[in-house]
Amino acid sequence: MSILRTEALEKTFNTAGAEAAVTAVRDVNLTVDSGEFVAVIGASGSGKSTLLHLLGGITRPTSGRVLLEGVDLATLDDDALAAVRRRRIGFVFQRYNLLPELSLLENVALPLVLDGVGHVRADAAALEALEAVGMAGRAGHRPDELSGGEQQRGAIARALVTRPAIVLADEPTGALDTVNSARVVELLQRLVAERRQTVILITHDPAVAAAAARVVRMCDGRIESDSTSGAAPR
Amino acid sequence: MRLRTLLVRQWRNRPGRAVAAAASVAVAVGAVVATWAAADASRAGYRRLTETIAGVPSIDITARDGGRFDATLVPRVVDLPGIRAAVPLFYRPTLLRVGESRLREVAVGVDAAALAAAGLLTLESGEPCREDDEVILDATLAKGLGVGVGDEVLFFARRRIARMRITGLATGDSLRWFAEGATVVVDIQALEAMSLSTAEVDRVRIALLADADRARVMAAVAERLPASLVADVPVGRASMADDVLHSANLGLDFVTALTLAMSWFIVGNAMLMNVAERRRGLSLVRLLGATGRQVRRFVVLEAAILGGVGSIVGAALGLAAAGPISAGISQALQTPPAGLAVEPWLVPFAIVMGVFLAVAAAWWPAREATSLDLLEGLAAAPTAAPPSASRNLLVAAAALTVVAAVSEALMYVGVWPPRASVVSGIALLLAFVSLTPFLLIPLVRLLGRLVPSRWQVEGRLAVDQIVRQPIRTALTAGVLVVAVSNGIGLGHAIRDSVEDVLAWYGKMLKADWVLTQAGALSVSREERGADSRRMERIVRELAGVADVEGIGVATGRVAGSVCVVIARDMPDDKPLPLEPVGATIDEVRQALARGEAVAGTVLAQRAGVKAGDEVVVEVSGRATPVKVAALVVDYTSGGASLQLRRDAARKIFGMEAADVLLVTAEPGRAAALREPLEAIAREHSMLLRSFGELRRYIDRIVTGVVGSLWSILGLGFVVGSLGVANTVTMNVLEKKRSLGLLRAVGMRRGQVVRMVVLESIMLGIAGGIIGLVAGLTTALFIQLASQPLLGHPLRFHVRPDIIAVNLLAAVVVTALAAWLPARRAVRLDLLESISAE
Repeated sequence: MSILRTEALEKTFNTAGAEAAVTAVRDVNLTVDSGEFVAVIGASGSGKSTLLHLLGGITRPTSGRVLLEGVDLATLDDDALAAVRRRRIGFVFQRYNLLPELSLLENVALPLVLDGVGHVRADAAALEALEAVGMAGRAGHRPDELSGGEQQRGAIARALVTRPAIVLADEPTGALDTVNSARVVELLQRLVAERRQTVILITHDPAVAAAAARVVRMCDGRIESDSTSGAAPR
Repeated sequence: MRLRTLLVRQWRNRPGRAVAAAASVAVAVGAVVATWAAADASRAGYRRLTETIAGVPSIDITARDGGRFDATLVPRVVDLPGIRAAVPLFYRPTLLRVGESRLREVAVGVDAAALAAAGLLTLESGEPCREDDEVILDATLAKGLGVGVGDEVLFFARRRIARMRITGLATGDSLRWFAEGATVVVDIQALEAMSLSTAEVDRVRIALLADADRARVMAAVAERLPASLVADVPVGRASMADDVLHSANLGLDFVTALTLAMSWFIVGNAMLMNVAERRRGLSLVRLLGATGRQVRRFVVLEAAILGGVGSIVGAALGLAAAGPISAGISQALQTPPAGLAVEPWLVPFAIVMGVFLAVAAAWWPAREATSLDLLEGLAAAPTAAPPSASRNLLVAAAALTVVAAVSEALMYVGVWPPRASVVSGIALLLAFVSLTPFLLIPLVRLLGRLVPSRWQVEGRLAVDQIVRQPIRTALTAGVLVVAVSNGIGLGHAIRDSVEDVLAWYGKMLKADWVLTQAGALSVSREERGADSRRMERIVRELAGVADVEGIGVATGRVAGSVCVVIARDMPDDKPLPLEPVGATIDEVRQALARGEAVAGTVLAQRAGVKAGDEVVVEVSGRATPVKVAALVVDYTSGGASLQLRRDAARKIFGMEAADVLLVTAEPGRAAALREPLEAIAREHSMLLRSFGELRRYIDRIVTGVVGSLWSILGLGFVVGSLGVANTVTMNVLEKKRSLGLLRAVGMRRGQVVRMVVLESIMLGIAGGIIGLVAGLTTALFIQLASQPLLGHPLRFHVRPDIIAVNLLAAVVVTALAAWLPARRAVRLDLLESISAE
């Protein structure tokens, strides 16, 4: 069952006038099924991060549509889009983006708090998410007291705490060493396997991409290839 | 965990930012409270000063044709707004005998008990006189005579010689309100009976409330009077005090308004920085699913808390500062300290204002941050202001300039009151602040080229920092522009006004001794004229007198406007004591010799008189056409004067007597004239003052008023410095990470500190230059605003000392404010600096 679909998706940036317009994503048609682990790879500037931002409703497309669970994100106003990001999408970033003022538990509970969930329930859910990523023991620590790998696992727990329809991970291992990279990838694989969590992961690291069941390769804003592990390109 | 936990954690994580934001509010609210209280103290001080020097502001009801009149003709007027009391006055020259001493004094008949109760008669000791055989004496006179309360004096009246008991001793200041030189107070009915003038009075003096509009009250009183009576400004009262105080009050309005505007800007700026610097953090919260409303509520809550705390602290600090400032102002004005009287609404108003400003200032960047594209918001690098913001600023600057120009023009032509110039000044200042972002970068690039070559690296990086952070640096420079403009504009305006007044007095009053008519005695005009001529002759014949100039003063009306008619000898061999506008001294001299008059510029403006006009002037019920030859700068009666030669005044208005004699001694003989002149003064009921005393009298007003204005301007300076220091500190604190990164790539600690200080100095100079232009323009606006008050434009002088002090202060304050946090920032652990968000 498809959970995410894009139709003729295109994004153009006009930062310095029409002459210097840059089309980062062009004519992307992509369908992701529930429980799929998709890796989007490509060279720097190939448009993979922009694609992820479009899929997550962080930025709006110039043309085309993004349908998450059948809902066209372009039709939503800011508040509705915020609610979708809060409840249906989990984000993981290369630089973790944990709020330095909050403990790990509070960081993970934040999306629930923003959704109006009481703090007891939010904390319980956050602790459960932290247990899922093996970080429950560090719940009371602040981000600056954690290693990069630990912070990233915390960020993954935050992405999972609302039980989202999809997790979008932008270079989640980009700032990590090999050991921690492997741990994060393993964690994502486990989530897909055990929870049937849909994950779309952006990476330029072929080793990380190899962990995904499906690999979408981008070049100049277009999908160059789309293949399932060990299978022919779709 | 709730959002407010995030708030508290953010404050704990970045205490400097939160403290600086709250401190800005504290400075602003403190400034509002202290400035307002100090301005109130100044106004109260001015009132006390005026009352001390010129008495309680008043209007006189007199007979149209001069002389005494039946008191029952005066209708009830105390019910009119602005009137404190109506006081019938009866004057009588008398002879007092105490032991072997015989003195000619002026006795005033009043209802002493009622006046003492109304606060119009101040007794140093004893009580008011009530019975026919009771008297109050001037305390200084009594001391000189060696008598006190309970002693007796012989009082020689027309009908009898009475033995009268002294019941009280009054202060000279309070007696002067009844008549210049009055020293004896008797019950009015007793004095009338003794003088065989039952129920007659010389005048009814109406005491006005401090905040009353004299012209309006006078018009209302005049409406009720019968045709035989007239309401006028008391002749010969120290109208100069009024004049200086009009300007001073305008100055106070300006100082208060600009200090308030500066305070608002400081709060707005701090809150803008506080929120704008966290754009990325706010975007991250949005990314995690917070709605724009949630983020805005979060920011507003923070602003309200910081604003509330800052406001309460600021109000307390303001109250603490207001006491010493008010005491200092009383000292400057040489008036008794009245204690700190803060309007009950002031503190709540200031607190509400602080919170409101903080919330309003935080709301705007919060709205911007929540309407941004999330990707843009998450970008670590600062972005330039959007083109729409630049457009809006230019439109705002243009609109504000138009508002300033229009309101100034309306004020200049008299459609709006002089206070409208405060609106112009504020609008103009805001226009300059709006232009600051456009002027700042080119100025900074230019300054970057002037950095010594050995600091070229630091200089280049400093310029880069400013150019790459346009919003943050424009905000910092904005505070500097406001502070410098305030100091330079008001500093120039105060100094120019004072010099204008003093220069005029220096020109007008050149004599060693000044003899002034002590009281308005009800003798016939002929009798007074003859007495005056006799006295002038006696003075001229005194050994050691080089020159005597007589000045006659009368109240008149020109086209419905009250004016003071001044008759001066103005001999051809002496410099003309006038400052013509649009005519030469020779032309004016010739016109005066032909019997024409010159009009003070304020009178000309009020009555619509132009040079060359023939106007009907009414003096003592006689209306006579007079040609106005030219307009002159004059501070007599606030510039509402008509001046002509004494011989012409004698012919046209029958003004025979000299109310003032200016006596110039031969070189080295001035001191020797004191004794004979004192004797003449006693004989003719005149008041003798040396020029030095008169000068001190003028200086006392001017110095006091100027001192009070400087005090408040000084307060503004402190507020401005604190605001600038706070903003610069915030600016440096926000750069902790980039400073760490610079060190990480090899910059030495000293280089980093130098770069930060250079950046601040460049900001200080650039903001100072823009502030200098804004300040000089503000000074011009203030001086234009003086035109309707003084009737002539003040001469504008560029004052290098004021400019230098303000620019130097701007640079020193910014450099120090940057150096301290920069030094702390570079001492941080490198990792800690780099990881700072």
